[in-house]
Amino acid sequence: MPQPAIPIRTTAEISIGISLAVFLGFVTKLVQLPYGGSINLSILPILILAMRHGVKLGTLAGGLYGTVAFILNPYVFHPIQVIVDYPLAFGLLGFAGSVIERPGKDRVLRIRIACGIVLGNVLRLAAHFISGWVFFAEYAPEGQPVWLYSLSYNATYVIPETIACILLVQFIMRFVQRK
Amino acid sequence: MAFLQDITLGRYVALNSPVHRLDPRTKLIASLTLMIVALSARSFVPLLTFTVFQLVAIALTRLSYRLVLGNLKPFIWLFTFTFGLHALLTPGRAVFLLPLSEHAVTAEGLHLGAFFAVRLAAVIVAASLLTLTTSPMQLTGGLERLFRPLQRFGFPAGDLAMMISIALRFIPVLVDEAERLRKAQLARGADFGGNPLRRIKNLIPLLAPLFISAFDRADRLALAMESRCYQGGAERTHYHVLRLGRADGLAALTALGLIGLMLYLR
Repeated sequence: MPQPAIPIRTTAEISIGISLAVFLGFVTKLVQLPYGGSINLSILPILILAMRHGVKLGTLAGGLYGTVAFILNPYVFHPIQVIVDYPLAFGLLGFAGSVIERPGKDRVLRIRIACGIVLGNVLRLAAHFISGWVFFAEYAPEGQPVWLYSLSYNATYVIPETIACILLVQFIMRFVQRK
Repeated sequence: MAFLQDITLGRYVALNSPVHRLDPRTKLIASLTLMIVALSARSFVPLLTFTVFQLVAIALTRLSYRLVLGNLKPFIWLFTFTFGLHALLTPGRAVFLLPLSEHAVTAEGLHLGAFFAVRLAAVIVAASLLTLTTSPMQLTGGLERLFRPLQRFGFPAGDLAMMISIALRFIPVLVDEAERLRKAQLARGADFGGNPLRRIKNLIPLLAPLFISAFDRADRLALAMESRCYQGGAERTHYHVLRLGRADGLAALTALGLIGLMLYLR
């Protein structure tokens, strides 16, 4: 029997990880932002999947989560924004898995996990930032500092989410690593 | 923490209307193309044509206008931002001087602001109509069918759609699980309130068992899939086979006609 490209165990884990991400996005609204968005923990399972399975599968999980988030609750302003804000931004989160291929000492591991989370989120912020730039450039009058609007808007939720995930992943990895 | 029973998945409203019955591929391609054409509009006329078409389409979906147009509500700040900035910063004939500043609302600015606001609203309503009339599972099926030709080049469209379908299917299961865990932890004196930092800490007794049980579930799911001889990448059949019907042809022709008209009026 030919072996599938992605092992079935991993397929199942990524699928349920995405469910968990969607679920956490609904229920863990830590802070409700005034313009409809919220600071939530939906990226937590994607980061953990990336740490467990590496960049390639982490990126896949993130991209799929972005697609599901789009299917369930799309915010559409521009076709480019759809691709950059959903599959691409969350797919880039998968790069969090790049720093944790080898097991190490507890303390070093913690720092490495934190670095991975920061890396994934910096890339995600970059994607949201570019998408916001495209959007504001389209809708704001010429001569406006559109990059500043985009950066300040997107940083308001990416930075707190990153900090929350750094705090939580340390605890949760300890439980799921045994699996 | 929000009440878990209040979660509604997606925005789909199940009704039996001609728009609901259309193939998801028809709706996906038509709305995407119409959105791109609306974004390329340079004057009010094509946008208003599109708006009239959307109002007729809403009537066809049998959804209430209030429900569909209510989707614009979360974007109020964006409309204000777009309209306000254009009205204030576009040079032209001043119609209203802002007190205590040197800025003035100009006639050209009002016109441009209204144009961008209508364009934004048209795009948002188009996306809302798609998700209100097409269930997440149908959308996944439609996306899979559209990307299937790429399988020849190694893009695993079938496997990815399978993962999305499993993910969508398991969300209600996780909601039940989380509710059970929440009650169990509350009975042990857990507190899920407090300031944001405290709330993060308080979530650990809920998140740790939730993750463990989710990964256990993935184990059992993989076993169930293996024992049913699931093979990634293999050609799979579907219980609901997507078929383009006469209504899809009619809808596609209408969309094409509208696109032609909008491009002509551009």
